[in-house]
Amino acid sequence: MLDAKPSVKLVTKLVEVKDLKMYFPIHTGLFRRHTGDVKAVDGINFDIYQGETLGLVGESGCGKSTVGRALLRLYELTAGSVTIEGEDIATLEPEALRKKRPMMQMVFQDPQACLNPRMTVAQIVSEPLDEHTDWSADQKLAKVYELMDAVGLNRVFANRYPHAFSGGQRQRIGIARALALNPKFIVCDEPIAALDVSIQAQVVNLLEDLQEKLGLTYLFISHDLSMVRHIADRVAVMYLGRIAEISPREPLYADPLHPYAKALLSAVPDPDPSREATRQRIILKGDVPSPSNPPKGCNFCTRCPEVIPICREVKPELAEVRPGRFVACHLVPAQNNNAAGSTSGTTVQKHNQQGEPEQ
Amino acid sequence: MPDGAKPVLDVRGLQTVFRTRGGDVHAVNSVSFHLEPGELLGVVGESGSGKSVTMMSLIGLLPMPPAEVREGEVLLGDMDILKISPAQLRDVRGRRIGFVFQDPMTSLNPVYNIGNQVMEPLRRHMGMNKAQAYTRAVELMELVGIPDPERRLKDYPHQFSGGMRQRVMIAIALACDPEVLIADEPTTALDVTIQAQIIELVKELRTKLGMAIVWITHDLGVIAGIADRVIVMYAGQVVEQAPVKELFANPQHPYTRALLKTIPSVTGERETRLKVIEGQPPILGAAPTACPFAPRCGHAFDRCGAENPIRRALGAGRVGYGHDVACHWDASKGAAHA
Repeated sequence: MLDAKPSVKLVTKLVEVKDLKMYFPIHTGLFRRHTGDVKAVDGINFDIYQGETLGLVGESGCGKSTVGRALLRLYELTAGSVTIEGEDIATLEPEALRKKRPMMQMVFQDPQACLNPRMTVAQIVSEPLDEHTDWSADQKLAKVYELMDAVGLNRVFANRYPHAFSGGQRQRIGIARALALNPKFIVCDEPIAALDVSIQAQVVNLLEDLQEKLGLTYLFISHDLSMVRHIADRVAVMYLGRIAEISPREPLYADPLHPYAKALLSAVPDPDPSREATRQRIILKGDVPSPSNPPKGCNFCTRCPEVIPICREVKPELAEVRPGRFVACHLVPAQNNNAAGSTSGTTVQKHNQQGEPEQ
Repeated sequence: MPDGAKPVLDVRGLQTVFRTRGGDVHAVNSVSFHLEPGELLGVVGESGSGKSVTMMSLIGLLPMPPAEVREGEVLLGDMDILKISPAQLRDVRGRRIGFVFQDPMTSLNPVYNIGNQVMEPLRRHMGMNKAQAYTRAVELMELVGIPDPERRLKDYPHQFSGGMRQRVMIAIALACDPEVLIADEPTTALDVTIQAQIIELVKELRTKLGMAIVWITHDLGVIAGIADRVIVMYAGQVVEQAPVKELFANPQHPYTRALLKTIPSVTGERETRLKVIEGQPPILGAAPTACPFAPRCGHAFDRCGAENPIRRALGAGRVGYGHDVACHWDASKGAAHA
C-alpha cells in the first residue's frame, strides 16, 4: 500500500450516494393542493473517495447545489441514502446527526451573505466551537488564531466585522469557520463564483494547500469548468437533476463521452485567440426544460444533437463504459475490455460505480 | 484595422469621480480609446476597474450627483456628446448608440410586454407608427433568433428564459440601427452553453449589420474568441491596448501578464498550481500619483511609486493604435524603460 501513494488516497469510500432524490413540492390553487414536484435531483448515484476532490459541474438549475446541501442533510431527502463513514445521514436521529455534523462542513458561495454582519471574525470562527465543544474561552481563542493563520488572515483582524474585508478575505473567514471542528468532508458550493479572477486563484490554492495538510475530502460544486479541471480529481457532470457523466479529470476533458459533456466543454471560451479560432463549437439549441416536467426518456433528448428514437422512450442508466468512467447515454455502449470478463450482449453493469477512479 | 479610417467613437482623457461623504472616489482616470467602424473592441478588467463606469459616463447614464465627469471629450462623429443638452443626448442614446446590460431581467420592464419594449425605440426615434413599428419588431425578433416572434411579442419578460431575454435586449439595442453597440458583460449572467449561443449571434449580426461594438467583460476567454482589439483596465486606467492576438501572444504590462497566467483553461496544458496575483486592487480614494499596480507588481522599482506611468506605444505606432502599455518597466528588454 505504501509505495502506491497516488491511488492510496482513493481507495476508501468516504461518501456513498445511492439513488438520491430531492423533490420540492408545488402547491397550487385555493387549497394549496400538491399538484406536482420540482425534481431538482432525480435519482443519482456516486461515491466520493477519501482525500479526493470530486468536481460537480452543470449549468444553473441542474441541481448541483441541491446535491451539495442534501449530502449534509440541510434538506430532508425525498428518497435514497447518503452514507458518510458507514452511517446513513438520511435516516439519522437528530441527536446522532448533531454529533455527526462536525465532520462534515460547508463553504458557501456568497461570502457576503453567509457571514453575520453583527459578529466579529473571532465570533464567527468560534461559533462552531461554542456549539460542539466545551472548551474554555482561552482554548477557543487559541484555536481561532490557529485557524486564521491557516487560511492566511492576519490575527490583528480578529475583532473586525465582515464588512471591513474584501470578498476574497471573507471567503477565507468562511473557510476558517468550516475548518474549526476538524472536518473530514467539506462541500464547497461555488466558493469562487463571487470572486474576481485574480482572487479566485488565491482561494483555490488555499483550498488545495489545506487539503494536502489536513487530508480533507472535497465536493467542489462549480459552473466554472476550467477551474474544476484544475482542482478536481474526478468530475461529475449534471444535467436537469441527473448525472450525465462521471469520469476522472483527464479523460473527461480530453475526450468527453456524453453528448452533453461534449457540448458543455466545447462552449467554454478558451483564453487563447489562436486555439479559439480553430476550435469546433457545439452550439446547443434551445433552453433547459423545466425540472417540474422533465422530458420522457433521456432528459437531454430535447437538445441533444445526436438524439436517436430510443432516447425519447427509455431513460438511460448510468453505467461504466470504460474503466472508471460512468456515462448515462444510449449512444455510448460499454467497451469490451478484457479485465471486465464476460460482457453478455448489450447489457451493461448498472449502478456500479466502484471502478478504480484513477490509476 | 486600417489606421486611416475615421473612428466612430473617440474618447479622450475621460475622468469620472464619485463624490461621497468619505471623499472623492476616482473611478475613471484619463481613459482614452477610439472605436473604428465595424470593429469589436474588448474591454477587460476586474470588478472596480472602472470599465462599466467609463461606458456609463460617456452616454450620461450615471446618476449625477454623486457622479461627476470632470474632464475629457467623447466624440461621436464630430459631436462631443459630453457637451450636448440632455434632450439631444436622449436622441443619441438608443438611436446612435445601443446598449446591452449585464442582467436582462432587471433591464426589461416587467409590467410591459416585450412587443411594447421592442417598439418603444422605433416609435421614439424613428417616428414610426404602430403598424410600422410592429412589422419592424417582428423582423428584429427574427433577426436575433427568437422563434414564433408574433406570439412572443405579446409575452412578458418573466415568460422568457435568461438567454431569450438577452436576445430581446439585443433586439432593442439594434432596433434603430445604431453606429455603436455597447455591451456591458452581456453574457456574464448566462450559462456557458447559452453564452455560446449569444456570442454566435453577435458574431453573425456583426457581419450582417456592420456596427462597431464595445464588449465589456472580465472573462479573457470570451475576449479571445470575439474581439479584434482589446483594452485592459486596472484601477480606473487603461494599462494596455493591443490587437487581440498580439495581447495574448505578447502581453507587456505585468498585470496583463499575471492575469493571463492566473486563469486555467479547459484545453492545453494543465497547471499543477495556479499562479496568483498577491494582494488586493487599490481603493481609488485619491487621484493616483503612483502606478496603481505597483504594490502587487513583481517588477516595481522606485519610479513606480513616485510617478503614474502614461501610455507609451511599442514600436513605431501611435498610442491607441497598434500596441501600447502604461508601465515604467520594459518587458521586452526586461529592464526599466528609458
